[in-house]
Amino acid sequence: MQKIGDRAQLSSQERLFLGLAEQLSRPFLQIAATAELAAADAAAATSQWQMVRAIAGSSLQLVESYGLSLRVHGKITPLELEPVTVSSLLYDTTEALQPFAREYGVELELEPGPRLQPVLADRAVLQSAMTSLGQVFVLAQAEADEPSVVRLAAHRSRYGIVAGLYGNSTQLGADSLRRAHALQGTARQPLQRLVSGPAAGVFVADSLLQTLAARLHIARYRSLTGLAATLQPSQQLQLI
Amino acid sequence: MHVLLIEPDKLLAASYAAALERSGHTVAHAVSAQGAVHQADTAMPDVVVLELQLPNHNGVEFLYEFRSYNEWLDIPVVLHTFVPDRELTHAAALGRELGVVRILYKPETNLAQLCAAVQAAVPANL
Repeated sequence: MQKIGDRAQLSSQERLFLGLAEQLSRPFLQIAATAELAAADAAAATSQWQMVRAIAGSSLQLVESYGLSLRVHGKITPLELEPVTVSSLLYDTTEALQPFAREYGVELELEPGPRLQPVLADRAVLQSAMTSLGQVFVLAQAEADEPSVVRLAAHRSRYGIVAGLYGNSTQLGADSLRRAHALQGTARQPLQRLVSGPAAGVFVADSLLQTLAARLHIARYRSLTGLAATLQPSQQLQLI
Repeated sequence: MHVLLIEPDKLLAASYAAALERSGHTVAHAVSAQGAVHQADTAMPDVVVLELQLPNHNGVEFLYEFRSYNEWLDIPVVLHTFVPDRELTHAAALGRELGVVRILYKPETNLAQLCAAVQAAVPANL
């Protein structure tokens, strides 16, 4: 089966907006369906409104992260660099993702790793990137047939401090990154859109990390596949 | 009526299943094409509700696999998808060759319309 029209003829910015629009239509549909059920069944309404709150919160986070990325890239918002402990940042990310993951039945596991040097980063930017990425992982893991886990982990490598998210879904890793790069303008694969999984969240995370001179890369950690960013510990901070 | 719901999003699936069950149907749910084939084998569906965007294998691949078994040749399929039907160039062929009786664009379909489409998909004596 082929589709009418070729997205390659769109500009990279148009492709990005289309990707974001498509990704955001899902939570709106979830909210609409949940509200329709809640309206018809008062007994189940409380849990359904909790679900609506989690979905709306995660969607707002994605939109805000994209806005932050544009503002920082455009120098409207200056970077506020400070020493950031990656393990504590991953802890906060886990807390932020928890309501969303719970609704999808996905378990979050935090592996902060050994004591790691702080990195010089804008904490809000880094946290937004990791949270956007975390949403993608929760959604991808939720599409697995088996019960699923997303692991947030940090470790030291010879190239720096690696902060990443990992899972066992085949949708994660190379495929997610490829689709995110497709939003930026590289070639799309035929029938790609018929394979589910959000790419806009990966794009937003990658875009935010670029403001910190980092990029997402495919990573493996304890037999799990994922995406991670390697952050440079500041030599100055070693003296603190 | 037994409905096989193939929907990768578990939150949406929960809403669709609840609405269909409220309409008097039983629902078996699968998140992937592979899981759907397994579910079809055990649930013996009267109708299939299918999202085209699935993990690993897309819904069209599932349909070709599904129709390759004689016992599943006549089971009606309702496409309920995020892919706009205008972008499906061979939508007519889907109906003709793969037994798709209705294509619903998810963002424009509420639960009541989904339930009505499922009800209409199956002959009245079921």
